Amino acid sequence: MSGDDLNPAAVAQPVEDVHGDGRWLSQHTRFVQECKDGEPDVLFVGDSMVQLMQQHEVWRECFSPLHALNFGIGGDTTCNVLWRLKNGELENIRPKVVVLWVGTNNYAHTAEQVAGGVLVIAQLLTSHLPKAKIVVLSLLPRGERPNPLREKNAAVNKLLRSWLPRLGQAQFLDVNGEFVHSDGTISSQDMFDYLHLTPTGYRAVAKPLSDLLLQILEETPEERRASLV
Amino acid sequence: MSAEDSNPAATPTPCEDTQGDGRWMSLHNGFVSYSKDKEPDVLFVGDSLVQLMHQFGIWRQLFSPLHCLNFGVGGDATQHVLWRLSNGELDNISPKVVVLWVGTNNHGHTPEQICGGIMAIVQLIHNRLPNAHTLVLGLLPRGKMPNPLRERNAKVNKLVQDALSSLPHGSFLNVDPGFVLSDGSISHQDMYDYLHLTPHGYQAVCEPLHAHIKSLLEKPAEN
Ligand SMILES: [Ca+2]
Repeated sequence: MSGDDLNPAAVAQPVEDVHGDGRWLSQHTRFVQECKDGEPDVLFVGDSMVQLMQQHEVWRECFSPLHALNFGIGGDTTCNVLWRLKNGELENIRPKVVVLWVGTNNYAHTAEQVAGGVLVIAQLLTSHLPKAKIVVLSLLPRGERPNPLREKNAAVNKLLRSWLPRLGQAQFLDVNGEFVHSDGTISSQDMFDYLHLTPTGYRAVAKPLSDLLLQILEETPEERRASLV
Repeated sequence: MSAEDSNPAATPTPCEDTQGDGRWMSLHNGFVSYSKDKEPDVLFVGDSLVQLMHQFGIWRQLFSPLHCLNFGVGGDATQHVLWRLSNGELDNISPKVVVLWVGTNNHGHTPEQICGGIMAIVQLIHNRLPNAHTLVLGLLPRGKMPNPLRERNAKVNKLVQDALSSLPHGSFLNVDPGFVLSDGSISHQDMYDYLHLTPHGYQAVCEPLHAHIKSLLEKPAEN
């Protein structure tokens, strides 16, 4: 963990407005405002995988009822999420659970760097929200056929699975299910562009996630302590 | 022709696999092989605005019954669509109507170049499918507040509308129901990231589009 300072995936960085329509900052500004208006029990934060979930039925069915806010922005890396969280997206809210799903867009970084970036975000969350539980979702496989990015994401997951429990309040949830078929392919029925999920793909992810969130939300801190004794 | 030859927006170009997972070519190959056992009356082709439409209930509700295929690829610019259509996506089908929606991702290109790219696609479709009518959808405004890309897209629309007016096999349709509010802003209720449409935004775009496509399908061919 001593290498954090040198890890480019753990450096907070805003997205540069290269196209000139200011969309990234507009979204961030809206999220900061939503913090002032809402009292979420669950906060989702991450990239397009988080963002697109809100556009589907599954969000209204499984997550809206839990009082969830969605701070997903398409294309975001660990650096961008880190910047957003350090610049207002955690102000004024006290969620009981934070769901973090980011890392598949960190193209310039190694698996170790990506996992380190995710870990630094989880640390930031635990220091801002000492009572909250952090659920980190596994990076999904991608591409129609086996390819280096699948291997990298699998390596990130392996590291997160071993590192996250050390944070105490954080846990890793593997949502990869059966997206990769026995012949090594991913179906466009699950990921329409071999990266982003279809409504069917989201259902497969939402089931274990909503089960876990319900379980965490039902456990009051007292009960939890008792059950651990 | 020399001006068109030097127009990057009108030069067929495959998308480079910079990320290394081959997704763009997988999508293209999937469209080519998928089209072999389909007989669509309508083909949608374009970028993420086309592609995401397919993920929402509105597609099954309005377009599946018209026998529509969806060849949308997120991030595509005109030169990418031109490459895909020149490399197999039109080989096995003969739709009556092609709905073309692309151009908002042509970053670094002028409105004239983008219009040239769109018109090159219209020409290619006409060469391959002489009986088909191409319906070009207007580029939507983008960004929460007024910005240069909104102006660029508006200019593209004007140029494309003018260029299409003289062609019997193509027409322009403005599908913006008024996404820009009176204070100049766009709502995230319509465009969740100020570019891509929510199911609510698609509803407003697709209902008039559906009616328009139906009227084109009912019209006798112009050729
Ligand atoms: Ca015409």
